[in-house]
Amino acid sequence: MDHPTHFDVIVIGGGHAGTEAALAAARMGCATLLLTHSVDTLGQMSCNPAIGGIGKSHLVREIDALGGAMAKATDQAGIQFRVLNSRKGPAVRATRAQADRVLYRNAIRSIIEAQSGLQVFQQAVDDLIIENGAVQGVVTQTGLRFRAPRVILTTGTFLGGQMHIGLTKSAGGRAGDPPSNTLAARLRELPLRVERLKTGTPPRLDARSIDLASLETQWGDEPRPVMSFLGDPDQHPDQRCCWVAYTNQHTHDIIREGLDRSPLYTGVIEGEGPRYCPSIEDKIQRFADKTSHQVFVEPEGLTTNELYPNGISTSLPFDVQMALVRSIQGFENAHITRPGYAIEYDFFDPRDLRSSLETRAIGGLYFAGQINGTTGYEEAAAQGLLAGINAALAIREEAPWCPRRDEAYLGVLVDDLITLGTKEPYRMFTSRAEHRLLLREDNADLRLTEQGRKLGLVDDERWAQFSEKRELIEQEQKRLLRSFVHPGSPAANSLNAKLSKPLSREYSYAELLKRPELEYADISALDSLGISNPQAALQVSIQAKYAGYIDRQQDEIDRVRRYEGLTLPSDMDYLQVSGLSNEVRDKLIAQQPETLGRASRIPGVTPAAISLLLVHMKRRQGKSAKTLDSQVPEAPKVQQQIH
Amino acid sequence: MSLLVGDSDTITAIATGPGAGGVGIIRLSGPKAFSVAQAVTGVTAKARQAHYVQIHDRHGDVLDQGLLLQFPGPHSFTGEDVAELHCHGGPVLLRTVLRECIHLGARQAAPGEFSQRAFLNNKIDLVQAEAIADLISSSTEAAARSASRSLSGAFSTQVDALLEQLIRLRVFIEAAIDFPEEEIDFIAESDVLERLESIEASIDSLLAGARRGRTLRDGLKLVIAGAPNAGKSSLLNQLAEQDSAIVTDIPGTTRDVLREYVQIDGLPLHIVDTAGLRDSADAIEQEGIRRARTEMQSADHILLVIDSSQINNTKDSTTLIAAYKGDLPPAVPITLIRNKCDLSETPAFIDRDKDVTEISLSARSGDGIALLRQHLLSAAGMSDSDSSDFSARERHVLALEDCAHHLRQGLFQLKQHGAAELIAEDLRYAQDSLGSITGSFSSDELLGEIFSSFCIGK
Ligand SMILES: Cc1cc2nc3c(=O)[nH]c(=O)nc-3n(C[C@H](O)[C@H](O)[C@H](O)COP(=O)(O)OP(=O)(O)OC[C@H]3O[C@@H](n4cnc5c(N)ncnc54)[C@H](O)[C@@H]3O)c2cc1C
Ligand SMILES: Nc1nc2c(ncn2[C@@H]2O[C@H](COP(=O)(O)OP(=O)(O)OP(=O)(O)O)[C@@H](O)[C@H]2O)c(=O)[nH]1
Ligand SMILES: [Mg+2]
Repeated sequence: MDHPTHFDVIVIGGGHAGTEAALAAARMGCATLLLTHSVDTLGQMSCNPAIGGIGKSHLVREIDALGGAMAKATDQAGIQFRVLNSRKGPAVRATRAQADRVLYRNAIRSIIEAQSGLQVFQQAVDDLIIENGAVQGVVTQTGLRFRAPRVILTTGTFLGGQMHIGLTKSAGGRAGDPPSNTLAARLRELPLRVERLKTGTPPRLDARSIDLASLETQWGDEPRPVMSFLGDPDQHPDQRCCWVAYTNQHTHDIIREGLDRSPLYTGVIEGEGPRYCPSIEDKIQRFADKTSHQVFVEPEGLTTNELYPNGISTSLPFDVQMALVRSIQGFENAHITRPGYAIEYDFFDPRDLRSSLETRAIGGLYFAGQINGTTGYEEAAAQGLLAGINAALAIREEAPWCPRRDEAYLGVLVDDLITLGTKEPYRMFTSRAEHRLLLREDNADLRLTEQGRKLGLVDDERWAQFSEKRELIEQEQKRLLRSFVHPGSPAANSLNAKLSKPLSREYSYAELLKRPELEYADISALDSLGISNPQAALQVSIQAKYAGYIDRQQDEIDRVRRYEGLTLPSDMDYLQVSGLSNEVRDKLIAQQPETLGRASRIPGVTPAAISLLLVHMKRRQGKSAKTLDSQVPEAPKVQQQIH
Repeated sequence: MSLLVGDSDTITAIATGPGAGGVGIIRLSGPKAFSVAQAVTGVTAKARQAHYVQIHDRHGDVLDQGLLLQFPGPHSFTGEDVAELHCHGGPVLLRTVLRECIHLGARQAAPGEFSQRAFLNNKIDLVQAEAIADLISSSTEAAARSASRSLSGAFSTQVDALLEQLIRLRVFIEAAIDFPEEEIDFIAESDVLERLESIEASIDSLLAGARRGRTLRDGLKLVIAGAPNAGKSSLLNQLAEQDSAIVTDIPGTTRDVLREYVQIDGLPLHIVDTAGLRDSADAIEQEGIRRARTEMQSADHILLVIDSSQINNTKDSTTLIAAYKGDLPPAVPITLIRNKCDLSETPAFIDRDKDVTEISLSARSGDGIALLRQHLLSAAGMSDSDSSDFSARERHVLALEDCAHHLRQGLFQLKQHGAAELIAEDLRYAQDSLGSITGSFSSDELLGEIFSSFCIGK
């Protein structure tokens, strides 16, 4: 039967990618349908109960600046908040929250239910309707047909999902959920490259069976950070502590003895796992000389006794899991509530995607989340948001949007995926971002809110608050440039106590703030004119401290900006580009990069090849075009400079 | 990280053909063209007017007198601001001026880059585009070939070792930033300061070695070495075109160090003839051999002379050179001279495709000496076949200097603020500078190093 309602956008999957995708499309005015296995698992965290962390919180803040749900939900569900790298500089600081699974799910669900233009329907999707190379809708398990010109697929680890505990296999999308095998088989018929990846999760423990008193405790930070730019610690539920336990030699012996029944070490699992999130059996094999590993014991929520022992992800047989858990001090009597397992699943080579996350092969079909080879809720949510935006832009018949590498971690994520592909589950790290000092957690709003407003994602409340903050920063930066301290004055004397050398000439407040010994509070104490909005004050301070480095990165960006975004047409005939080596030509033909910048980042493509492409493009355009500039409109520069 | 050629930077190159004599032109194009020209001449020039100027280096020493011309964009060859310095000195001087321009913030132009900019700015027409494409693709190949030719294997080994050290340090610092919850205090464990200082020291010693070759203005030091009677003194006489050294058929004729100064097409050469290397009981000869070894240590280039009539000529250069392994300093490029080709009845030839270039010649008849001259020019980066302005070695010196600059800045950051993310930044730039020698290194490769070094992750 055909469902009578007409939709603009259909999202398949109610995980982190799917919920953000559906919300974004609906906020941008599209009639949107979210189809998922179960309404009760909307926003379900499949693995560890935490949001944020290095690189990831940067993504969460960007999602927030673009009006997404993840940060807001975390502020309502977070039972412990910490700032990682707090002793390092602001560019690499990251907020991380333990989240109550139930509260998080509820928060996401209520945001979804409050969103106008968004319908939810509980049903598995088994097939896509494809006509003339473009998607036109979906067919559910019961044969119900929904039509829409844009479909976003966010099925996570569910496609061909195969779970392993020891040498026992079972089909599933995650523990307790069925896999999507019919859909997986259908997708394999499409002209898209499919491969397998693997990930794993630890056994869960009953807190009542653990000697928590014998473990080190770890509390959150005070004052308590928040995730959303609009967040407030008052929203947070009760706070809880985590604990730290350690594996020992005995644990490692038990694991080694069980390896002959490990699906990883007997070749049963073929999919590649993440290098940075190894199972405990991997850790002791690869780093045999390490005698102990940390295990962070995290509460799963306020209303449950379940604990998540972060650090002992495993797919060993259950008897080995039990023995290894009980060999850990404090876990001697542990009761396992759910066994750990590994899961293998299909993912699609992200090099087959455009930067809008639309597949190259099937018009109107978008992929977002773990299906693209990433791992992590934040990575999934960020992609979902972008796919939702681009599906909506397409409905509006507007050009797609994707932030550049120097604008957002989201830009880095997508650019890495579609130009380099991935061989293991891709996770974000700050070291992936060459413009790390510009792409900070603290300035995600300054980088993206305006764009979000233009797209129609940012509501009036957020916009008003943001505009006020931006205005405050600008005013204060101007004031600091205009205000001076004279040597010998009382103000100078008060500062001299903190300085290695007393002030010998007149300095502007702005210059003084750049000094490592001085903080914004020292400067604003000179008179009573400083600003009290802590977020704005922080920006003023950070921008001053990083000024030299930020200018250098900005120079680098400006240097390549003119050609970075130059579009390489999809009908480009690389055989006609004279002078290219065969190797480079083959790579370009295989990957069809969208822009000159992306072409330059394909491994093996040389600067000379880029020059040749430029010359070729110019010839193609002939005299008609005066100059060969990036067609993409120049995004407003993040206001960073304070000269 | 990005390979993209920018057009908002200023490029410079020697615009006249190679070879000495006449007027040589250095061209600058881009936003800083005028400011760089002003800095080397001290003159603020008027548009399209020739100014008589003195060109000086950063220390204020006068290098040359010449003319300065400025063409403001868009009415210039490239469509950008263009400055031209017309110099009188030979190629060596031109290179010195070029270095000054680069020091002041210009970048050495890639092959064909002026024309490319002209084309992109609608200054030359479509027909020429094909020629530009040819130029770009052919000259990059030539540059790659010349790079492998003019660098000794030992130099690359040292650069690789340096890179290895740099990556190790980055692994610690990046791990500290991206994995703060691990038990390891990466920064404390890694002795960042010590490591940074040690990297700085290796780069300095590498630079000291590599720089010797770049002071072209002062000339290259060419040391002739080899077994007694191989024909070393005869070769010196040939290059000097006079009978400076005594030549006899008695092995051990030359016992002291003999120096000659010559110019080949404007390339100044300090040629040093040395005593033949062998085990000798003679005290005078022993001292001569000791001096020969000292000279070799400070050479920019060594000609290792072998009497081809005395050996099995199928022996390859590696075996032949291996016999002198203990005497040859690792960082100095070598040319193997198969002398007395008239006796061994082989023709004169040059073979560049081996690890070490070989030249077969006769120091007696002079057959093949022209090949040697040509080769010495190209090894110094001055031959016609080498279209780039700098030898690979000079470009590498520039890259190393850039790298050293970022390392110093990183060290300063560390001592001042101990700010991990800022040192990380400087180290990334430092490694990027080395990228032109070593190839680029992606962030994913860095992460790979981290994961294989430490047990990370939960
Ligand atoms: C065992 C395991 C261990 C993990 N370990 C980690 C880890 O250590 N670290 C980490 O960062 N991340 C880990 N993850 C990954 C993390 O859970 C995912 O990256 C994230 O949830 C992906 O989000 P997503 O939206 O792409 O997919 P998911 O959250 O998986 O959501 C997919 C949604 O699609 C629905 N769906 C699937 N197929 C259909 C269909 N045919 N029709 C309708 N609905 C469908 C599902 O019901 C589900 O709601 C792990 C995941 C699993 C399963
Ligand atoms: N036939 C022929 N004889 C040569 C050639 N080069 C040098 N000889 C002769 O070889 C002998 C040695 O030449 P030298 O130039 O003195 O050799 P050297 O290497 O300086 O010798 P020492 O100073 O003793 O180490 C002389 O008799 C030269 O005439 C050549 O190319 N062909
Ligand atoms: Mg001699």
